[in-house]
Amino acid sequence: MFNFKKDTDTDRSALNKSSRSSSDIAKRASVSIGGKTMIGSTVFIDGNITSAEDLIIEGKVSGTITATGHEVTVGQAGQLNANISAKTVRIEGRVEGDISGGEKVIISKTGNVLGNIDAPRVTLEDGAKFKGSIEMDPDEQPAIKAVPNSKSDLFPGAASAEKSNAS
Amino acid sequence: MFRAQSEKMTAISANSQDYALCTMLHSNLAAAAFDSLQADKRLVVLDVGMAMAATVDYFSQFRSKLLFVDLYSEDLVAEIGEEVSHQQLVAQFRQALGIKDNCVIDVCLFWDFFNYLDGTLIKAFIEALQPYVADHTRGFGLGSLNSRCQLPNSCYGLMTENTLTQCPRSEEQRPVYPHSQRDLNSHLDYFEINKSRLMSDGRVEYLITRCDGSELAKKPIF
Repeated sequence: MFNFKKDTDTDRSALNKSSRSSSDIAKRASVSIGGKTMIGSTVFIDGNITSAEDLIIEGKVSGTITATGHEVTVGQAGQLNANISAKTVRIEGRVEGDISGGEKVIISKTGNVLGNIDAPRVTLEDGAKFKGSIEMDPDEQPAIKAVPNSKSDLFPGAASAEKSNAS
Repeated sequence: MFRAQSEKMTAISANSQDYALCTMLHSNLAAAAFDSLQADKRLVVLDVGMAMAATVDYFSQFRSKLLFVDLYSEDLVAEIGEEVSHQQLVAQFRQALGIKDNCVIDVCLFWDFFNYLDGTLIKAFIEALQPYVADHTRGFGLGSLNSRCQLPNSCYGLMTENTLTQCPRSEEQRPVYPHSQRDLNSHLDYFEINKSRLMSDGRVEYLITRCDGSELAKKPIF
């Protein structure tokens, strides 16, 4: 379904040898705590992530991230080459890609974004680095979009990663 | 109309962040850059400097699109080979701007960018900008009163209509090309310096507007 690997050669080798399904690997590498899923700093996901709960990303992601109605946080260690769509997006790490926030987008002082942002409200904290465009409309009603009904597309209690190319 | 809405809300936005590391500058002309705009229309702002928290915070009260390109950090500004033609420079600036074809800019925040360009580069930059400029487009810039006034190595933001933030840049300052108002005016082609006001420590702020055909003919030619 997707490609998923750790950064170190040792880890990559171990994963390649593993006979476990990709969803098993994803469950092992992401931790779900209190309705939030965390993707760890040694994890690299090349693919499309769809989440029905809040996401915290400390690893590397290449692809797209969709968490309609939920919050996506890119932690300080997070490095994304991906478009993000969520209700609230908070960037503390590095993102190269477009960001769509149904409610708001926050770029923290440690954040570094290259891309275009579209959200009713955007906050850039002092020290944040940004290059691109910011489209804001404070009068816009927060976007309410249906969360996918089909649970089969999602990892139980966590994010799902869809088909992508190996890297 | 635009100003009325702005004045109600700037007090809130100005206090919402900590600007301890930056200094504030009073501006007499920044507000005039927005005079002709309508609050019910989306505002498109080009900021050629670094994206500043204050600027985003200020415009977050309006339906707006902010384009941050930070041309200071582009290699283009640093060194230009003698063999590069005017049209090549225009193309390089246009690529660096990265603006979509159908975009029309309402306000250009040039800050002190012109001081880091010689006359040749200013002309190329202004030509590169032309497809995105309409008759109502206005600009705001900063310059030195004369060549003896040192230009601080700073980046700027718009905190309120009458207040700018000035923060030190971490990068080394690029070579400065101070321009007299008359010289700068001659480089601006379809733009002109409509008003200028003296600021603190020998700086000058400029309100830049489009000049119509008759005014263009009157501009000094050097």
